[in-house]
Amino acid sequence: MNKMIMMIVVLLPMLSGVLIPLLPFRNRRQMMIYIETAVLLNTILVFLMLANPPQNALVLFKFTGNLSVSFRLDGLGRIFAGLISALWPLSVLYSFEYMKHEKHEKYFFMFYTITYGVTLGVALAEDIVTMYFFFEMLSLITLPLIMYTLTREAIHASRTYFYYMTGGAAFAFIGMIFILSYGTTSNFVPGGVIDLAKVGDKTNLLLIIYVLCFCGFSVKTAMWPFSSWLPKAGVAPTPVTALLHAVAVVNTGAFTLMRVTYYSFGTELLRGTWAQKAVMTLVIITIVYGCSRALKETHIKRRLAWSTVSNLSYILFGVVLMSPLGLTGALSHMVFHSVMKICSFFCAGAVMYQTGRTYIYELDGFGHKMPKVFVLFTISGMALMGVPGLCGFVSKWNLVKAAVASRMPLAYVGVAALLISALLTAIYMLSISVRAFFPGKQFDYGTIRGVKDPNWMMILPLTVFAVAMFCFGLHPAPLLELFRQVVSVF
Amino acid sequence: MDKWILFPILLPVIAGSGLLSSAFLEYVRAAKRHGNGKTAGFAPSEGNLKRIHILTGTVLVLTAVSAAGLAWTGDRSLIVFHLMKDIPICFRIDDVGRLFVTIVSVVWVAAGIYSFIYMKHEGEEKRYFGSYLIVFGILVALDFSGNLVTMYFFYELMTLASVPLVLHNGSREAIMAALKYLFYSMCGAYLGLFGIFFLYRYCDTLTFTAGGTLNRILAQGNREILLAAVFVMLIGFGAKAGMFPLHAWLPAAHPVAPAPASAALSGIIVKSGVLAIIRVVYYIVGTDFIRGTWVQTAWIVLTLITIFMGSMLAYGEPVFKKRLAYSTVSQISYVLFGLALLTPTAMEGALLHTVFHAFVKCALFLTAGIFIFQTGKTRVEEYRGIGRKMPVTLWCYTFASLALIGIPPASGFISKWYLAEGALQAEVGIFRWIGPVILLLSALLTAGYLLPVAMNGFFPGKELREEADKQEPHAAMLIPLIVLAALALVLGIWPNPLIEYVRRIAVAVM
Amino acid sequence: MEFVQNFPFMTIILSLFSGPLSSVLDGKKAKRLNLAVISLIGMMSAAVLGYVLKTGEPYVYLMGHFPAPWGNEIRVGYLEAFMALFFCVIMLLCMIGGAKERENQIEETKQNLYYVMVNLLLSSLLALVYTNDLFTAYVFVEINTISACGLIMIRQNGRTIEAATRYMIMSLLGSGLLLLGICFLYDLTGQLLMSNIQEAVRTLYETGAYHIPLLVSLGLMSVGLAIKSALYPFHAWLPDAYGYSTLSSAAILSSLVSKGYIILLIKIFYRVIGFDIVRDSKVIHVLFVFGIAGMIMGSLSAIREDNIRRMIAFSSVAQIGYIYMGFGLGTPAGVLASIYHVVSHAATKSLLFTAASGLTDASGGSVRYADLTGAGYRNKLAGVAFTAGSLSMVGFPMFSGFISKLLFAQAAVGHTYKMLPTLIALAISTILNAVYFMKTVIRIYTPMRVPEDSGKACRIGILDQPQKSLALVCFIILNLLLGLSSEPLIQLLQNGLEMFH
Repeated sequence: MNKMIMMIVVLLPMLSGVLIPLLPFRNRRQMMIYIETAVLLNTILVFLMLANPPQNALVLFKFTGNLSVSFRLDGLGRIFAGLISALWPLSVLYSFEYMKHEKHEKYFFMFYTITYGVTLGVALAEDIVTMYFFFEMLSLITLPLIMYTLTREAIHASRTYFYYMTGGAAFAFIGMIFILSYGTTSNFVPGGVIDLAKVGDKTNLLLIIYVLCFCGFSVKTAMWPFSSWLPKAGVAPTPVTALLHAVAVVNTGAFTLMRVTYYSFGTELLRGTWAQKAVMTLVIITIVYGCSRALKETHIKRRLAWSTVSNLSYILFGVVLMSPLGLTGALSHMVFHSVMKICSFFCAGAVMYQTGRTYIYELDGFGHKMPKVFVLFTISGMALMGVPGLCGFVSKWNLVKAAVASRMPLAYVGVAALLISALLTAIYMLSISVRAFFPGKQFDYGTIRGVKDPNWMMILPLTVFAVAMFCFGLHPAPLLELFRQVVSVF
Repeated sequence: MDKWILFPILLPVIAGSGLLSSAFLEYVRAAKRHGNGKTAGFAPSEGNLKRIHILTGTVLVLTAVSAAGLAWTGDRSLIVFHLMKDIPICFRIDDVGRLFVTIVSVVWVAAGIYSFIYMKHEGEEKRYFGSYLIVFGILVALDFSGNLVTMYFFYELMTLASVPLVLHNGSREAIMAALKYLFYSMCGAYLGLFGIFFLYRYCDTLTFTAGGTLNRILAQGNREILLAAVFVMLIGFGAKAGMFPLHAWLPAAHPVAPAPASAALSGIIVKSGVLAIIRVVYYIVGTDFIRGTWVQTAWIVLTLITIFMGSMLAYGEPVFKKRLAYSTVSQISYVLFGLALLTPTAMEGALLHTVFHAFVKCALFLTAGIFIFQTGKTRVEEYRGIGRKMPVTLWCYTFASLALIGIPPASGFISKWYLAEGALQAEVGIFRWIGPVILLLSALLTAGYLLPVAMNGFFPGKELREEADKQEPHAAMLIPLIVLAALALVLGIWPNPLIEYVRRIAVAVM
Repeated sequence: MEFVQNFPFMTIILSLFSGPLSSVLDGKKAKRLNLAVISLIGMMSAAVLGYVLKTGEPYVYLMGHFPAPWGNEIRVGYLEAFMALFFCVIMLLCMIGGAKERENQIEETKQNLYYVMVNLLLSSLLALVYTNDLFTAYVFVEINTISACGLIMIRQNGRTIEAATRYMIMSLLGSGLLLLGICFLYDLTGQLLMSNIQEAVRTLYETGAYHIPLLVSLGLMSVGLAIKSALYPFHAWLPDAYGYSTLSSAAILSSLVSKGYIILLIKIFYRVIGFDIVRDSKVIHVLFVFGIAGMIMGSLSAIREDNIRRMIAFSSVAQIGYIYMGFGLGTPAGVLASIYHVVSHAATKSLLFTAASGLTDASGGSVRYADLTGAGYRNKLAGVAFTAGSLSMVGFPMFSGFISKLLFAQAAVGHTYKMLPTLIALAISTILNAVYFMKTVIRIYTPMRVPEDSGKACRIGILDQPQKSLALVCFIILNLLLGLSSEPLIQLLQNGLEMFH
């Protein structure tokens, strides 16, 4: 396949996004059709590209002599690109219904569509500069989406969001510079590119830089102590929270960390060092911290956001195990968590859309009025807990398998953290479901009169996600095989 | 490959799901119809109810018969599919599974028939029977599981599916109890899972094999971490079995559930914790690995604490069902104590006690249910003179109590005998004699908390003598009770085939 | 000798004499003359640049053909020619962008005086860039100071007078130190021409004689110029001077005047003392520490600032810190990064000042942060421009700031023990930059709660202020150009730097 397709899939969404406010749509329906077509077309192109991956790299333009924006598709990128493009059209479909009553939806869809291209840019990046470029761009392009409602809260959240993002990028930048200077190449090469001759006896320096760089990139995955932006960003419309702050943006963080750890610094250098222990400690703290904050939170979206914080660190836990097995675990949780969390967020969004209620204690008895939504919510909750038969179990299994195989005492602690987190997940997810389905005998259903399930545009994506959770949970073999192929290069 | 294994699993699950979804649809429809009125707590019409009963009864009997039939006609196995490359979901019927599935079938059918009448007083039959059937199917699957992951899979499903049974009456208290149940079970399950992860790495296979599959070479040098993992698993699966320190859910959850559900919970579901521990200790890790280590000691201490504590709490508890729940805490730890000793005789005792306790505790809870159903009273002191109104019920209760206390010739005596003998044989230091002493002490306490009910029931004293109308319950409630009480007695009188059978199991694994 | 070789000299003279000429014209005509002169000088500088690029080597121009030590020399290489061109472009854009403000804020009778100052300033800048004579440099430094003072105080309100006085005192202190340093050097070497001094210094250095006086001289010159270019902690004069003067003054002062001194400092380092000698001295460590302190403290002050103009001014302190940090690294890569940052900062800071004035115009002239709420919707172009400038400051890829950050970091990585402090300071400074710039960006895109037309706020379309819009668009393009295709420029600067040897 021609390598130009990589450029097309990145630029097409950007272009079609920019055109949204400019094109003279006669009515909303036309706009919907236009956007969905564009996004779907791009998804199809991406899958075509994944099916026959172009072999060569494509240089888009050069910043300076050795810094360029260039694309190349490899195993890791394929998985991320595939994940993103599978989820985007469904989310757009959901957003049409969700954003119906909003004022400036054109601008919303503009940025929402552009983000698609930018995220694909991260997935396809050939070298660390390109990745950094799109990484930064992603922070910027999603800023208006958080600001969207323009309430005081939203402004505040967007400010926090951007401070964190720039801070993260600033430290990620250090890592990038280091790779540029001490690496044999800036491209991603399985096993790392660090030139040992250049590093010489400065190994400790390298490790310091790695930790700084890890912290920098992990701001996007809301690792403790950089996690508070994510729950705050929950003020954005649900499609944003669901797709970006549970999937695209935060997984970009995880993805970049995979790149940096496995393809730039190289696991050989890092495994067993204090740097690994340091970052693993942070990750383990986050796993538990996120869950316990989720437990305390009574705002439904913020609770889910804290849950995301914890779950993202599952992925990072796999990453910092620094073994092929760990990467397999991380990849599987990246994919599965996306499906699970987007589903639960969309359920929460459906509730907010239909009734405007946002706090958990207001959801008593909703299970009877919005049965579809809450059944799906319960399924996603169970998947997050890691009930066998649903996809969460598979990824957790893979992660722990890698942790046990690593024989690090700290990794054992990590396993314990995963299980504690699973228990807390059970508590904070199922308590919502129990409340919704069993409000108690004395509950007066008159208070929730008129509450009902949303229409098909919202239910369809949810159902697809739920089915996916079952499929991945019961028959994960093909997907796991794919992951295994990806990590087989190490 | 024997596809028929799936039949007793899928049949109740499908039937149960059907009932559940029809119940759910009814809710939704009702919610739509009168959005302002209360929709909870409506009962199905008479004809409808009959249909539910017929369906449930048929499924129960079919499942029980087919499960037992499959179990007792040879070893069968089936790989359903591969969850991951080296982890199949598979079923295999072996001696332990056979034993457990038989208990489950008997108790489940008995309690099921009992609930036809009993549930009239609780309402929402569709939901109840739906969950009841689903849990039955899952239990059968649990007993047939061929490897650790399959077992874990159904173990967790069982927890989730049995939650509706606990919170059936929908009161605040019931919901809180159900959540407590859920979270304790989850906590236990995750602790178990923690261990499974380690066993997966250090065992040749997770398929149950008598004597264990631990890979000695791999385990070399990782002994401590593996022991820790096993201990964590014991605590975890012990949660379901009400073992200290994760026992607190049991006295909360049992009293609020409908009586037949409590009977099933107490008689069967807690036993799944026992099953899991048997599987882990005797079929995966192997007894040799644990014998003489700190894990064994700690385990024995925990069980003894639980035995004594449960009895004491039961002794001081005035609410009848709660008293029985505490009794369960104590009694299941008899079983666990037997397992912890790691000798064949003690294991025989443990398995025997599993069987006897299942029947006896089920009978006791059914009695409690009858008392509540007929009189609406829940506290022990209110049952004074009840033997005059329901002599048959109280007689059954008395026999069951005797069995639980361990008075010969009732069944409990035999299991306790073996347990004590096993303890004396085992090389566990000081616990060789502390164990039996505590067993004895606890038996005395058991007598102390069970028999007064019977005595006051039959001999209420002078002031209550006058009112004595017969109030015996419906036959559908009485017959299961009689059957179970009779089983408790008969198994004590002719225990030999059963003893032979469990001896075979015990010898095979050690 | 080709005709074009005369251009540098002619540009200096042209701007010098157009100053007095302006004083006899009225405001409008003086303005036209000024624009014409700047454009003409720009074109001539471009021709010079083209010529130097063609020949590929620097040339020395003897004024009046008197050889040294009597005559005065001009030296033209890539760097000088490019800087001259660049300064002209920026100055032109600043003048265009601030035209309206000048009309409003400066008294009718003093309009022409402003152009006198601007012309003198330009001539002094050009002289600083081109001259090969240390004393000439000093003379033009003084001219520069005087005219800059005029630019500050021509908008006559109390604060500008105070600011100008402060600026005057600090600047004179700086020039005094510079003069002292030059005297020392003259005393040691007996020369004033840069190339001659360098030879003498090299001999002195090799013999080891007069080591301390040499060091003192270097220190005096560095500190003197550092004061004049507002290196932290000598920055106290800056916020008021930039914050309250008229728009084009602020833009010119921040992006050109301080940069002129920096160019001079580079020349002193390379052409007068010799870079290896500078590197061996302790002076660069001092510059490094002050540079890093400036990066952090400047930003911290900016965060606390409530006045958008002063905030941007404080940001300049931080950016100057970057430049001195680059010197402090003591590597050619570091100096290259500093020079690139001179360019990039000049382009960005003038953009920010102009955009900020566009935003304040849309908010009833208030510079208070709170009053800017929603200004980005009222003046769309200024909003976009301010966002672009902020992103550049934060170091967002695609904008010029990213490249200079990149160059700094790469220079730092080459260094052994200054690497980590530099990298971390860069990161922290980036975050701080983001805090105040993006806070403002978000603020200008926050909708106003009160109705827009009730208060002082008004809408400004792109065509309502055509001159400012033109300037803004040009600045944005310049920024993007520097960010996206910086390669030729970096090459040019590098070669230019090598030509200094």
